[in-house]
Amino acid sequence: MSEAHSHVVAIVDDDAAVLESFQFLLEVAGFPVAAYASAHAFLASPFTRPRCLIVDQNMPTMTGLELAAQLRAAGVDVPVMLVTSAPTPGIEARARAIGVRGVLAKPLPEDEVFAFIRSCEPG
Amino acid sequence: MTEEDRLRQALSLREALLQSMLDIVPDGLVTIDTEGIIQSFNPSAQRAFGYIAAEVVGQNVSILMPRQHGEVHDGYLERYLRTGERRIIGIGRIVLGQRKDGSTFPMELQIGEVDIEGAHFFVGFVRDLTARREHERRMAELQAEVIHLSRLSDLGHMASAIAHEVNQPLAAIGNYMGGIRRLLTDDISPVLRQAIERVGAQAERARDIVNSMRGLVKKGDRPRESVNLETLIRETTALALVGTNRTVGLDLAVQPATLYGYVNKVQIQQVLLNLVRNAVEAMNGAPGSHLTIATERQGNRIAIAVSDTGPGLPESVRARLFQPFTTTKPDGLGVGLSICRTIVESHGGELSADPPSACGAVFRFSVPAGNDPEAPLS
Repeated sequence: MSEAHSHVVAIVDDDAAVLESFQFLLEVAGFPVAAYASAHAFLASPFTRPRCLIVDQNMPTMTGLELAAQLRAAGVDVPVMLVTSAPTPGIEARARAIGVRGVLAKPLPEDEVFAFIRSCEPG
Repeated sequence: MTEEDRLRQALSLREALLQSMLDIVPDGLVTIDTEGIIQSFNPSAQRAFGYIAAEVVGQNVSILMPRQHGEVHDGYLERYLRTGERRIIGIGRIVLGQRKDGSTFPMELQIGEVDIEGAHFFVGFVRDLTARREHERRMAELQAEVIHLSRLSDLGHMASAIAHEVNQPLAAIGNYMGGIRRLLTDDISPVLRQAIERVGAQAERARDIVNSMRGLVKKGDRPRESVNLETLIRETTALALVGTNRTVGLDLAVQPATLYGYVNKVQIQQVLLNLVRNAVEAMNGAPGSHLTIATERQGNRIAIAVSDTGPGLPESVRARLFQPFTTTKPDGLGVGLSICRTIVESHGGELSADPPSACGAVFRFSVPAGNDPEAPLS
């Protein structure tokens, strides 16, 4: 795997506008981005270890938590940040149990997003 | 034994058999002669009217009726004997009966006539409808209550669903603003810079509004308790089927270890109502329509599955199932399932539909397990 890949911030959201705008924000801030419209698309991608993964919870065919759980089960230890419109104690508890680094509410507070990315070692 | 003895014995036996039938028949039985005088009054009639037989035998049957009807009963009897015109005999009617304590109750009355060799009697069969009316009234009350509470809950959840939807473009705006601010070079006009700052401020203002709308669904208003799931599922299904005019086979498979859930009763009832109604509509009264509701213990949660024998969900519909404001119904609002999903999530579970199969649709959700409130604390 090339070094360029391992700096990549992977983002997953089924809403096209949110996905594109998020990619725009991150790229302007200087991060290479790989954007996916679904958990399945991410799983099918050639990257095996991005720097981190920021994923929306509320997606129709596979939720963010389900994706995180699948990655854990496969032994992939990419740091994951979950994004949701409605953070509930239930979701936060399940996120902790799966090993997700954190849960952020949408619309995203920019500072926390960048702090998270910077806290993840480039692979 | 002589022939006469044998006949007498057979007669005695026959009479004993008939008498025991009359004693246990659930309908009240009142026989009267052509003058309206009560001849017999079986145990069910005694229970319905509150008299023992000795109190009424020999009295006019009008004492069992509210005054206005009682006053004219002799006249009806006389008219029938004279004209042979049947108004109630063999026809049956719902009338009011009057108990010993003066209270009245609805009853279904059927009257038969016996006229043999100078013995002329009328037999009244009385079915007390009080229990049925009470049951119907209770069902209507329950239904109104559930509808009312779910409407209140719907409003809160609708606000929440709208907030959810609006969050998406707000998030996109926020992202673009963040990138645009970083792209602003020092030499751009102050007017442009200020306008851009203001867009950002308005986007944040919208976000605050959305956040406060979420507060409309306050958890404090929704208390949780240990609820008997079997009773809840059974009652809710009965409610959901009331007024559907559709015959649906029903299977409730509630495992003993899954009897109690720790839930907000009205909310989970709302979820079940939604799922059952959807299932019934999907099956559309086709022959062999069958609904199955099964529970299963999974750790400290109880999984509930609602299955129907309808056409099932195509993958394209399944993918958009819980998104608010999408619906397959011509006059549907499309909030039902998204509200249900929110309710289930607030109980710590996930509402999902199985992938398409030939057997119809299966919806699943889970709730926390609860304890039998009557059980001794261990």
